[in-house]
Amino acid sequence: MPPRRQQIKRETDLQIISDWIEPEARILDLGCGRGVLLEYLKKTRNTYGVGVDVSPPKIASCVRRGINVYHGDASEFLDEMPDHYFDWVILSRMVQELSDPGEIIDKALRVGRHLAVGFVNYGFWLNRWSLLKTGENIRNEVYPEPWERSHRGNPVSIHGFESFCQRNNIRIRQHAYLKGDWRTPISVLPNLLAGYAVYHLVRE
Amino acid sequence: MNLLRLGQLSYLWLFASMNEPPIVSTVDQPGDIGLVEWKDYTSQEVFTFECGSTLPGFTLRYETYGRLNADRSNAILICHALSGDHHCAGIHSMKDRKTGWWDNMIGPGKPIDTNRFFVICSNVLGGCQGSTGPSSINPETGDAYHLDFPVVSVRDMVRAQYRLLTDGLGLDTVFAVVGGSMGGMQVLQWGIDYPHVVQRLLPLATTARQGAQAIAFNEVGRLAIMQDPDWQNGAYPVGEGPRVGLAVARMMAHITYLSDEGLEEKFGRSRVPAAARDLFAAEFQVESYLRYQGQSFINRFDANTYLYLSKALDRFDLYGPDGRLEDEMQKVEARTLVVGFTSDWLFPPSQNRAITHALLRCGKDASYAEIDMSLGHDSFLVHAPELYELVRSFLS
Repeated sequence: MPPRRQQIKRETDLQIISDWIEPEARILDLGCGRGVLLEYLKKTRNTYGVGVDVSPPKIASCVRRGINVYHGDASEFLDEMPDHYFDWVILSRMVQELSDPGEIIDKALRVGRHLAVGFVNYGFWLNRWSLLKTGENIRNEVYPEPWERSHRGNPVSIHGFESFCQRNNIRIRQHAYLKGDWRTPISVLPNLLAGYAVYHLVRE
Repeated sequence: MNLLRLGQLSYLWLFASMNEPPIVSTVDQPGDIGLVEWKDYTSQEVFTFECGSTLPGFTLRYETYGRLNADRSNAILICHALSGDHHCAGIHSMKDRKTGWWDNMIGPGKPIDTNRFFVICSNVLGGCQGSTGPSSINPETGDAYHLDFPVVSVRDMVRAQYRLLTDGLGLDTVFAVVGGSMGGMQVLQWGIDYPHVVQRLLPLATTARQGAQAIAFNEVGRLAIMQDPDWQNGAYPVGEGPRVGLAVARMMAHITYLSDEGLEEKFGRSRVPAAARDLFAAEFQVESYLRYQGQSFINRFDANTYLYLSKALDRFDLYGPDGRLEDEMQKVEARTLVVGFTSDWLFPPSQNRAITHALLRCGKDASYAEIDMSLGHDSFLVHAPELYELVRSFLS
């Protein structure tokens, strides 16, 4: 049986982002969930981490793990932090949840020296096919809920994200494109063939 | 005094259930601590207050629950709020109608688990429940100190507790300091003044400094007391005093501990039974409730202590002369969890967040959790499974 999507997602971000992060780094994970990534980085890289989330059970879970966590709004939290205070800010599968994600990315690049962004590629061919075939909201393993049970989303494609970076003088220092299994690297036609993308961004 | 006398005793149930922890333990509270006894610790050494005045020594009344482990590493200090005391769990006699003020939180199997921890709570310096305060006898005069009592600060309270824990109980490490409201201020001060003694800080519903609104409410309370002719410039005989003024101060303060929504849920516009009554007798249940709160308060609290402690609250300011919270927070070494409550308008979430921001800006291990409850400032005292879970996790 293939691993569950949730498990794959965790491993994906964990491995790629962890490889980028130097030991002892100071990290801010926006939308940290249950603190799995921060806990892993603390154990393997001896990092100092802070997570931000809005969900009470996730906050409780971070407290249980001994992970620093802040219950509140990511944008307001960023406003409270000094310039380049964190070595890394992480937005793992978070940008598609935000209203005005460009503003958060802008703030994250002020507060952090490096920014890691990982998201599900909305331009993935299966999504396009689903839309073309049914003309309805996409339904598949990644978007399992029907319209009436879905939460508000702000999905983004690789192409859309990269042109956003270009327009805003954000340099893509590294990237990783992964196939629909979110594990196998791919380099050709990423906007069509990649299911997941992770970026290392810095301000030009 | 008739104004303040409770009209309908049959409504006592209402008062008992509104704000105080439930008398009967609920399902997820595994065990009660049962009978407890208070003790007195007396320091014979001179105590110099922050203001420069001294006392030849002092007494703190305190209680302990659970057992100190072999390596003396499992002590948790509980700090009480303005009107609280050392009796935070259990009962003093089988006749007690009420348990200690945080009995829902502290006990065997409860979030602050007395099977694991040695829990200590003392009445603050300046208090009136057995610790040295304005109503204590001044050995030099043979009369109560009244207003000759030194100006007491939150820091003085903490320094006195430190003496109790180190000199009195022989501890050199404290696993955690926990408290809400004024207790939360003491928690922060503990972390700042004794960073190598305390390992975890759990301040709840608190602030690093009060805003104008909280100071304003305290001032009204103080004036109610001082305008009462029975106050006599603080020199009233022990056991007497400005009962009307103190009751009014308590009634008003009590409103600030609750919330619009909480009061509405509990009382709405419901009325006390319509017996023959005067126009200005307690008509609505909320009036009756507040009168009861005022009445019961004057039977257990000293007016001068109220003045001193409310002033200590007003003057507490961790921002320091430069207005930078980081200067003080930089000293903290303990892991900290700050908890705010959405409906708390006395020490609102923003002030609890500000503490966390400053700690994180100093690179400290700190977390902030906000609990969505409708009961206002006093939310930290009531049955709240979400809070229990956080406390349990943080102390694990």
